Amino acid sequence: MIRRLLCSLAAIGVVILATPSGGASAQDDSEELLRGNVRNEVEVDGEVDRVPVEGVQLTVLDATGAEVGVVTSDVEGRFELELPGPGDYTVRLDEGTLPDEVELRDEAQAELTVNVRPNERQTLNYFLGESLRQIQGRWDVLPQTIANGIKFGLIIAITAVGLSLIYGTTGLSNFGHGELVALGAVTAWWMNQSVGMHILLAAPIGVLAGAAAGFLVESGIWRPLRRSGTSLTSMMIVSIGAGLATRYLFLYTFGGRSRAYREYAVQSAVDIGPISLTKRDMVSMAICVVVLVGVALFLQRSRQGKAIRAVSDNPELSSATGINTNRVILLVWVAGGALAGLGGVLLGLDEQVRWNMGFTLLLLMFAAITVGGLGNPYGALAGALLIGLAVELWTWVFPGAVELKTTGALITLIIVLLVRPQGLLGRKERVG
Amino acid sequence: MQWDLIFSNALYAAVAINAIGYALIAVGLNVHFGYTGLLNFGQAGFAAIGAYAVAVVVAQYDWSLWAAIPLIFVGGMLLGLLIGIPTLRLRADYLAIVTIAASEIIRLFLSSERFRWLFGGTDGLQGFTGDMQELNPFSGRFRVWAQSFGAYDLFMILVGWSIVALVSLLVYSLMRSPWGRVLRSIREDEDAARSLGKNVFSYKMQSLVVGGVIGALGGAVIAIGNRAAQPGNYSTTLTFFAYTILILGGVARVKGPIIGAMIFWFTITLVDNVLAEAVRTDSVPEWLPSWLQVTDSNFGQVKFIIAGSALALLVVFRPQGIFGDRREQVFDVR
Repeated sequence: MIRRLLCSLAAIGVVILATPSGGASAQDDSEELLRGNVRNEVEVDGEVDRVPVEGVQLTVLDATGAEVGVVTSDVEGRFELELPGPGDYTVRLDEGTLPDEVELRDEAQAELTVNVRPNERQTLNYFLGESLRQIQGRWDVLPQTIANGIKFGLIIAITAVGLSLIYGTTGLSNFGHGELVALGAVTAWWMNQSVGMHILLAAPIGVLAGAAAGFLVESGIWRPLRRSGTSLTSMMIVSIGAGLATRYLFLYTFGGRSRAYREYAVQSAVDIGPISLTKRDMVSMAICVVVLVGVALFLQRSRQGKAIRAVSDNPELSSATGINTNRVILLVWVAGGALAGLGGVLLGLDEQVRWNMGFTLLLLMFAAITVGGLGNPYGALAGALLIGLAVELWTWVFPGAVELKTTGALITLIIVLLVRPQGLLGRKERVG
Repeated sequence: MQWDLIFSNALYAAVAINAIGYALIAVGLNVHFGYTGLLNFGQAGFAAIGAYAVAVVVAQYDWSLWAAIPLIFVGGMLLGLLIGIPTLRLRADYLAIVTIAASEIIRLFLSSERFRWLFGGTDGLQGFTGDMQELNPFSGRFRVWAQSFGAYDLFMILVGWSIVALVSLLVYSLMRSPWGRVLRSIREDEDAARSLGKNVFSYKMQSLVVGGVIGALGGAVIAIGNRAAQPGNYSTTLTFFAYTILILGGVARVKGPIIGAMIFWFTITLVDNVLAEAVRTDSVPEWLPSWLQVTDSNFGQVKFIIAGSALALLVVFRPQGIFGDRREQVFDVR
């Protein structure tokens, strides 16, 4: 009955609600905005449950029929688009981008006209329902879930390797590492959208920004602090304070909204067996694999890489054998910053750029390097894949609680610490 | 600029409910970090447990507020045990990572749609302070200088500061007791304490629980004083602010976190109000580049930037804060 009511509600057309804002994040600029949710209504135990639908593409046209923009619903089913000004807009939902098992409850919702007043944030909620086509079973989506987990795990890995190397060589748990990630993404976005470069040109600049920031903080902050004998705890709190300030500087300048890069934001997925990936996903996964293999080869084979491993092992002894410890640490910071910047750009491509994307990722990075064994770069890799899978598999095991998916990774972290405190690849060490 | 309004507002913030709650949360952190050397980065989680322990049973299950108060203590204690058991035997950085993870897990659960029926989602819970409001002997509105405030606010300020005084007295006497001296000896040299036959794990656990309960009390005071429990108030930023407050006032000092909280709230409210007024009267500096310009939508972020920079700078240049003692080598915990 309730369900039928909801169906007819959806059939009336679009339900325009002034929903309370989703996150605790700041709602900034007072311009016109179009936003909303795409949700699938599923009946579980007689109750209607709304599951966010990701990747649904919406095209927005202005009154003259010119295209204003294209948005895609994110992992929480939300979409958001800045509008150039008040007026009438037509919103067209591309039914081809809907997942196979669902369709619009009402065909009329496929194309809607809305009127936007000055400074208004117009909310459109799309309700989807089960189609009469064959419903995809739980086990059928498992390969896709695993593929998503690996994709996310690779991005975590690329950012966490630097965090792990910094911890290994200096002993510092850098709580500002997330901001290096966000810096890469934000710089690339700025180059892409404000300066007008193609993303393929903007991305290396984002990576460079990460490397430059790594160089600056090491030579400007951490080296002087180490020289003055500041304890690791103090340095950790300094990184927290500096990270907090930087994060809110991003919010201050960049605003509270998710923003996409201009190119490759919308792509249709290619089916490979049971898995469907966009070209963008495949390219970024390939970049991650190549870079990670490169980092591993560098650590294993090159002189500098061996020096890094020696310093991680025993800084005093390696210093005594003639390794310039400070140079090695500087190298680690520059490389770690560049890797973090690259991870940020790739994450920005995958789920848009946000001011706090780095901090959200930071806990997962820490989970990854802790699960893998603190200070071991290969452990960070293994841990990152495990954490990426834990995040995605959470949504598979508990499809009704997608917004809790990071907790899957954090609970994994706590369980691993209980069972194997030194982490997967860590060395056993007696501490208390 | 209406300077009298700005200053009276900032002075009010220094004694108002948020300053009280943050002071309590920082006092709890002082037990962990200042006296025992435990790097707890999940104090926001303890505060959230305290706030929701009261809010859930009163708003959703119609308990009396007074019957719910013991739950604050039980909640803080349970969370302390839950976090402490897997991590206190590990190195300090593990504790930092796991506590921050635990507080995020708590916040995510509290704000999740899935548990909206229990915790109220991102909107949180309201309407659990009826018993407290009935007890309020004051009525009408009050005005001191340019600042006006309600009767309930005045009542909660008096109740809140009484709690702060009681808790501070408790911490003061605990830290002068043999128990407190063991905590300090663990902070100074864990191995030495262990070689003297002290069960370091057990003492750390007791410290985690005591400080956690005080933090939970602080969270509950904020929720009751503001008449709402909202998950956004208990994010990791709260923990970082508590560290700023603690280090600003002076670590391992009873009055440190209290004076720290007052200065902290005075300063950030002052900055916030000055910027808001500057934006309103259109007197923002012209020379700033456009991407750094203060606008009505971003001036609120400046306080976070100041708080973060203050935390970093204090640790480097004045780790003992205003009232701290350099001989108390808190920052050498490993």
